[in-house]
Amino acid sequence: MHTPSGNSHQGTVPSTPQEVVRHGLERMTSAGPLFRGTVIVLGALFALGIVGFIIRASQGFDDRLPWGYYAAVFGYFLTTAQSAPMVAIALRAVKAGWRRPVARVAEMWTVVGVLNLLWFLPIMALVPTIEGRRSLWVTRPIGAPHAWDLLVVLFLAVCGLGLLYTSALPDLAAVREKGSGFRQRFARTLSSFWRGTRLQWNVLYGGIALLGTFYAMLLVFGHALLSTDVAMSMVPGWKDAIFPAFHALSGLQSAVAVVIVTLFVLRTWGGYKEQIHVDQFWGLSKLLLAFSLLWFYFWFSGFITFWYGRAPTEQVLLRYLYFESYRLPFLMAFFLNFVAPIFLVLLWNPFRKSILGPTLAAAFILVGTLFDRIRIYVAAFSAGDPFADALEHVPAAHLPGVPDILIVVGGLAGAVLMYMLAVRLIPVMAWWELKEGLLLRRVRPFLRRHMTVVAKPD
Amino acid sequence: MTTERPRHKWGMVVDIDRCTGCEACVVACESENNEPISEEGHFLQRRAMEWIHVQRYWEGEFPEVKARFIPVLCQHCENAPCEPVCPVYATYHNNEGLNVQVYNRCVGTRYCANNCPYQVRFFNHWEPVWPESLRNQLNSDVTVRSRGIMEKCTFCVQRIRRAERQAAQDGRELKDMEFQPACAQACPTSALVFGDLNNQDSKVSRMAKDQRHYKLLEELGTGPNVIYLKKVDVNAHA
Amino acid sequence: MQERVELSHRQINQELLAANLKGPRWWWLLVPALVLVVMGAASAAGYMYNRGLGVTGLNRPIFWGIFIVNFVFWIGISHAGVMLSAILRLSHAEWRRPATRAAELLTVFSLMTAAMFPGIIHPGRPWRIYWTFPFDFSRGIWPDVRSALIWDPSAIFTYLTGSTLFVIIALIPDMAVLRDRTTGVKHVIYRFLSLGWRGTPRQWKLQIVAGILLSALLLPVFVSVHSIVSWDFGMAVSVEGWHATIFAPYFVIGAVLSGVAAVVTMMALMRWAFHWEHYIRPEHFDALGRLLIAIALGWFFFFSLEFMFGLYSLEGPEVSLRQMQMFQMPWGALFITFITTAFFIPITLWQFKRVRRNILLMFLISILVNIGMWLERFLIVVPGLMRKQPLTFVWGGYTPSPVEITLVVASFIFVALMVLLFAKVFPLIPLFDIKEGQVLKDEVQVGRVRVPAVMREE
Repeated sequence: MHTPSGNSHQGTVPSTPQEVVRHGLERMTSAGPLFRGTVIVLGALFALGIVGFIIRASQGFDDRLPWGYYAAVFGYFLTTAQSAPMVAIALRAVKAGWRRPVARVAEMWTVVGVLNLLWFLPIMALVPTIEGRRSLWVTRPIGAPHAWDLLVVLFLAVCGLGLLYTSALPDLAAVREKGSGFRQRFARTLSSFWRGTRLQWNVLYGGIALLGTFYAMLLVFGHALLSTDVAMSMVPGWKDAIFPAFHALSGLQSAVAVVIVTLFVLRTWGGYKEQIHVDQFWGLSKLLLAFSLLWFYFWFSGFITFWYGRAPTEQVLLRYLYFESYRLPFLMAFFLNFVAPIFLVLLWNPFRKSILGPTLAAAFILVGTLFDRIRIYVAAFSAGDPFADALEHVPAAHLPGVPDILIVVGGLAGAVLMYMLAVRLIPVMAWWELKEGLLLRRVRPFLRRHMTVVAKPD
Repeated sequence: MTTERPRHKWGMVVDIDRCTGCEACVVACESENNEPISEEGHFLQRRAMEWIHVQRYWEGEFPEVKARFIPVLCQHCENAPCEPVCPVYATYHNNEGLNVQVYNRCVGTRYCANNCPYQVRFFNHWEPVWPESLRNQLNSDVTVRSRGIMEKCTFCVQRIRRAERQAAQDGRELKDMEFQPACAQACPTSALVFGDLNNQDSKVSRMAKDQRHYKLLEELGTGPNVIYLKKVDVNAHA
Repeated sequence: MQERVELSHRQINQELLAANLKGPRWWWLLVPALVLVVMGAASAAGYMYNRGLGVTGLNRPIFWGIFIVNFVFWIGISHAGVMLSAILRLSHAEWRRPATRAAELLTVFSLMTAAMFPGIIHPGRPWRIYWTFPFDFSRGIWPDVRSALIWDPSAIFTYLTGSTLFVIIALIPDMAVLRDRTTGVKHVIYRFLSLGWRGTPRQWKLQIVAGILLSALLLPVFVSVHSIVSWDFGMAVSVEGWHATIFAPYFVIGAVLSGVAAVVTMMALMRWAFHWEHYIRPEHFDALGRLLIAIALGWFFFFSLEFMFGLYSLEGPEVSLRQMQMFQMPWGALFITFITTAFFIPITLWQFKRVRRNILLMFLISILVNIGMWLERFLIVVPGLMRKQPLTFVWGGYTPSPVEITLVVASFIFVALMVLLFAKVFPLIPLFDIKEGQVLKDEVQVGRVRVPAVMREE
C-alpha cells in the first residue's frame, strides 16, 4: 500500500488534463445513498441544535454562565474550520508539490466562516463591557471590544469566501463548460468572465497570494483578539501573554488535523482514491508532528511560568484551569492533543507514513481540541465576576445540560453539513492545480533507476 | 545536625508609626555585621551596603507634604523567591524561619538579588576595606566577606546562636526579649521588635496580631516573616 | 530566475579549497590584528578579575547588565545554524547547500562565546563557577536543579556537543578531499580527521543518516536552549517586566531572526572575501530574504503580544516600565532604534525583489537587524530591573562601563577570529553538498520555456 519513495506512483494519478476534469465532474454529480443519508442525519442534528439554542435563548442573555458551551463551539469553529485554509495558504507559499490535491480541500472549510459569523452575534450580548476590568483594549477605542470583534469575524468570513472563490474560478469555468444542470448555472453565474487569458491568470495568482496572506494575518490576529476578549479577559487575574499564541497554534494544529480527516473521508467514501495518495498524508503528518510538539511547548511555557512563579493569583488560576475545576477536559486535551498523537502514532515512521496513522492522530486531535476549547471558554464564562482583581477561590466547574449537548452536537453537524453541500457546487479538488502539476513533473532515468523530477518555476 | 533544637520561627515587627527615620538601626547593623563603611562614593555608585535601610517616601503635594519612612530589611520569606534560583544552594531556608546565606558557596551569579522583590540583597562589587582607625572594631563573630559574593541581613544569627548556647549552658529555655538583633537594640523608639513568632506569648507575636499589621508586597505570596504596622495618621481625613 | 552555473568537480575543488591550500594574503594581516584585539580584551577581563566587578557599571538593583544582554544575543545568533541546516535539510530546500556550514559554524562559535559570558565574565567568583556542575564530589553539595542557572549550562553544553558533531559529520567527506590534495604534516592531520573516508556507498549512507538524525534531534534542543535562557528571566516573579508566559517562544523566534540575519552577513562576507560568486549567488539571498520576512512577521506578533500584555493589567511598575522604555531618554531613543532597525526598515525593504537580490543591501540590512535585536535584549534585561516592583525608593539606573563595553565588542571580534581560523583549516562551503546539487539539478520543458527542476531526494 505505501510506497517507500514517492517516485513509483506516477501511473495512479489521472494522467491527462481532460481526465482530471472528467473524473472530478463525475464525482461532483454522483450522490450515493451514503451521502444522502449523512446529509439527512446531519440536517436533523443541526435542527436539534437550533432547538437547543432556542431553549437557551428563552432563558435570556443576562446570565453568562449557561452560555459557556455555546461559546466553546464558537472557539472550536475558529480553531478548526476557519483555521483549515492556513494549510492551503502555507503549502502554496512554499510551493510544495504534493499540496495540489490538498489545497482546495482545506480552503473549502472557509464556508463555515458564515456559520460562525451568525454564531458570534449572541456572544456579543454576553461579553461584558471592558470598563473597569483588564482587557487587551488599553486605549479603549469606540466600540471596543464588541464592534471590533464582530468586524474581525466578518472579515474572516468574507476574506475566506473570497479566497475560495478566487482559487476556484478556473475550475468553476471548467464546470461551466463541461457540467450540466443547476451546477452549470451556478458556475456560469460566478465565472462568466473567466477566459483564461495570461492577464487573468496573473491576476489569479496574485489574488490568491494576496488574499492568502491577508487571511493568514487576519486569522492569527483574530485568534489573539477573540481568545482574549471572549475568554481570557473574563477570568479575573488571568494575565497570560502566551495564551493568544497558544490558541492560534492550537488552531494550526487542528487545521492540519481537519484537512487530514477530510482527505481520509474523501479518499475512502468520496471516490478520490486516485488523487489523494499516501504522499499527502505523509507530508501533512510531518506538519502534524511538528505542531503537536509545539502544542506542548506553548502550553508548557505558560504553565511553567505560572507554576514556578508561585504567586497566589496564578496558583489559583492553575488550580481552576488545570488541576481542580476543569481537570477532566484538561487531561483529555493533554492526552488527545499531545500524548496520544505523538507517542501512539506519529513518532513511529511506518505509522506516520501511512494513511490510517495520521488520520487516527488527527481524529485524536480534533476531539482533544474540542475538550480544550470547552475547558477554556466554559471556564471563562463560569469564573464569576469579571470585574474582580483576582480569583479569590477556585470556582466550581460548570457541567453541560441537555440544551448544551444539543448545541454542541448540532453546531458541529451544521458545519459538516455546510461542507458537504459546498462540495456539490464547487470542485473539492483544485483541477487547475492538478493539471499544472502534471505539466511540471517528469520521470527521468538516473543511474540505474527512474526518479521523479519536479520543476519549480519562480 | 542531630541536636534537637526547639522549633523557633524568628520574626520581626516594624511599627511604622514609631519610626522617625533616624537610621540608628542602619549604623548599628553596619558595625555589628562587618559591613564596609558606605561612603558618598558608594551611594553615588548605588552600591552602598545597608542590610537594613530606611526608605523615604514623600506623601502629598507641597506644602502639605509629609515624609514617610519604612525600614526595609531581609523579610526572611517563608516562600522566598531568592532561594530556588540559586544554582549552588548558597541561600536556603533553615528550620527556624531564617533565610540563610552561605558565603562560601556563593559564586556570584546575582540571580537571587534579581529575584528579590524587596531588593535587600547586596553584592560585594569591591573588596571591602576599612579605615585604619576601625581595624580593631570588626566583630569577631561575623565573617568578613570577600568581593564577588552576595550578602544580606541574617537577623543577627550570631546573636541568636550565642543566646541559645547561653540558655543551653544554664539549662533553660530561651526567654522572650532575651536578646535582640543590632538594629532592634539600637532603635531609640522601639519601632523594631524581634522574637519568636512560634511562641504565642512573645511580644512580637502579640504585636503581629495588631489590627494595623500588613506585609510588604503580600500579593506576591512570598510570606515574609517581617510584619509591618501601619502609620496612624492623626490628620487623616476619616 | 535561478541563475545556474555549470561547474565541474575539479573547478569546485579548486575554488572552494583555495583558502585552505593556498590562503589569501589578507588572512595573514587580519588574523594577527584580531588576535591583538582579543588579547587586549582578555587583559581588560584580567583587570576586572583583579579589582572585582566594581569596575563594571553594575549596581543595586541592576545586577545583570550588558554581559547578560550579550549572552542572550550570542545564544540568539547560535540559533541560525540548526534553524537553517536542520529545517532546510529536512524540508529538502535546494538553496540551503552553500549556507549550511556557515550557519553551523556560527552556531558553534557563537555558543562558545555566549557561554563565556555567564561562565567566566559575569559571575562574582568565576573561579568557582564549576560548582554549578554536578562535579565537585568532595564538597558533598550538588547543584540545585530548581535553578534556571542549572538548566542553562545543561542546555548549552548539549547544544554545543550536538552542533559540533553536526559540523564534524558534514566535514568528513571534505576532509578526505583535502587529505588527497596535501602532503607532509597537513596530510597526516587531514588523514586523521577524515576518519578513513573512502566514499563507499555504505559510508555515504551512514553519513546521510547521521546528518538527518542529528537534525531531528537538534531541533528540540535548539528550541529548549533559548526557552531556558528566556526562563532565566521569565521564572523571576519579582521582576514584573520579566514574568511573562510568552518569553520562551518570543525569545526563540527573536533568536531565529537575528541568527538568520547573521547568516546573511556571513554569506555576504564569504562571497566578497573568497570570491565565491559561483556558489553564493543572489538567489540565495533572495531565498533568505523571503524566509526572513516570515520570521520577522512572526517575531512581531510575539513582540506585540509581549508588549500588549505588559500593559494588559495596567499595574504601576509595568506601566512605568513601558513609559520609560518608550518616552524617557535615552531609553526612548534606543526603543525607536530597536523597533525600526529590527523590524520596520528590514520588513519594508525585503518586500522588493531588487533589494533581496542586492547583496550589499542585504548585508547592510542584516547588520541593522542585529543592531536592533541586541537592543531588544538590552531593553528587556535592564529596564525590567530598573522598575522591578512598586518600591520606588530603590528604582535605579545603569550605564555600562568601558570594561563592559570592551568585553562586549571583543566578543564580536572573537567570533570573527574563530571563523577565520576555521576557514584556514576547513572549507567554509561543503564541497560534497555543492556537487550533489550539481548532479541533481535538471530542467523540464514546459511549452516553450525550460523550467529549472530538481530530482526529488528521498
